[in-house]
Amino acid sequence: MTDELPPPEGEPTGPGPSGRTWGKAFGADLLARLYETSLEPGYAAATERRRREGPQRPALRRLGKAGTAAMALLFGVLVAVTYRHALAAEPESHRTHDQLVGEVKSQRAQTDRLQRRADRLRQQVSDQRDRALSLGGSDEVARLHALEASDGLVKVRGPGMTVTLSDAPTPKDPVTGKENAENLGRVLDVDIQDVVNELWRDGAEAVAVDGQRLGATSTIRTAGEAILVDFRPVTSPYTITVIGSEQMRDRFTASATAARYEGFVQRYQMGFRMQRSSQLTLAAAADQQLRYAHPVPSGGSASPSASGHGGGR
Amino acid sequence: MIALIALAVGVFVGFVLEPTVPTGLQAYLPIAVVAALDAVTGGVRAWLRKEFNDKQFVISFVSNVLVAALIVYLGDKLGVGAQLSTGVVVVLGMRIFANVAAIRQTLFKA
Repeated sequence: MTDELPPPEGEPTGPGPSGRTWGKAFGADLLARLYETSLEPGYAAATERRRREGPQRPALRRLGKAGTAAMALLFGVLVAVTYRHALAAEPESHRTHDQLVGEVKSQRAQTDRLQRRADRLRQQVSDQRDRALSLGGSDEVARLHALEASDGLVKVRGPGMTVTLSDAPTPKDPVTGKENAENLGRVLDVDIQDVVNELWRDGAEAVAVDGQRLGATSTIRTAGEAILVDFRPVTSPYTITVIGSEQMRDRFTASATAARYEGFVQRYQMGFRMQRSSQLTLAAAADQQLRYAHPVPSGGSASPSASGHGGGR
Repeated sequence: MIALIALAVGVFVGFVLEPTVPTGLQAYLPIAVVAALDAVTGGVRAWLRKEFNDKQFVISFVSNVLVAALIVYLGDKLGVGAQLSTGVVVVLGMRIFANVAAIRQTLFKA
């Protein structure tokens, strides 16, 4: 690189021949001085000396080069070691947390992908079966579809209502402004269970919580802070969509459960809203794996045997 | 050029060989790095002005690192370690900033 800078005239090098000294006017223009002056006057002094005395001896120069290289090496090691220590000092729990979050995210994405694939395959299977059945020319197809719809195995559409439950805002301590740990208006799993059970009782034909269709073996339960529907987490606001007749909607609106939650709205600021819809679409429920129940061969009795352990929900 | 290669080798050595630092010295590593960075930027600034001098660089590097570590060590002994290291970092940071500003001015004329 060519040095196009003029010799340092406008840039006094500290307490040099320019007559300016450190210490004078050390107040307001300290920063300006920092920028103006060379911070290491030794470099300029050394150059000056070399100009006067001629070049150094080769042995001395080699030694100097080696020293510089050694310092650069030391600097590199220092930076690397410090970086590694800073990494190690990062709290272990923080790293574990990040790792777990990543794992959960990737697993959830995979579950979604598999779920979509299962849905697609199920659709294919039922299409094929419908075709095969219709070749036989019977009304089996219609009967099958009705059974499937009531079982939650297919997507259904119809009039119904949406019930929304949501957590009350976290109460704040009026003095400290801190969030109060105990929130009485938080929606619990039993609240969702109550509402869903009331809906079934009132004649609901299909129910979904946050888009998760409920089947015969569906569960709604709490795990830690989260509410799981069929092992999938749902979050506030909890939207319960339900398909059913006009009477079902009337019965639910007039039910004791609805009245109780209206009371919770007044008392704990819990969110509870009911909205009627003329057209709702509910997704199919996840496939129910029957592990112990086996279909009775045709010709057998359809009624539950007396010795059977009561199934049910 | 040799210095740049040495720097790369140093980083490589630091990462690959994982040299262990005595526990007592670990607290001074960040301060030492900041002090060394000051010496390095000062050296680069001088090099750009064709004023670089090996002896000056070695002395400024070693003394910077040692003095910075010593100040923090003293502060630790006196119970004002955190405040003193903040002070050292502020001063060295200002010097690094000034050096980099001068380097920038030499390189880009702006």
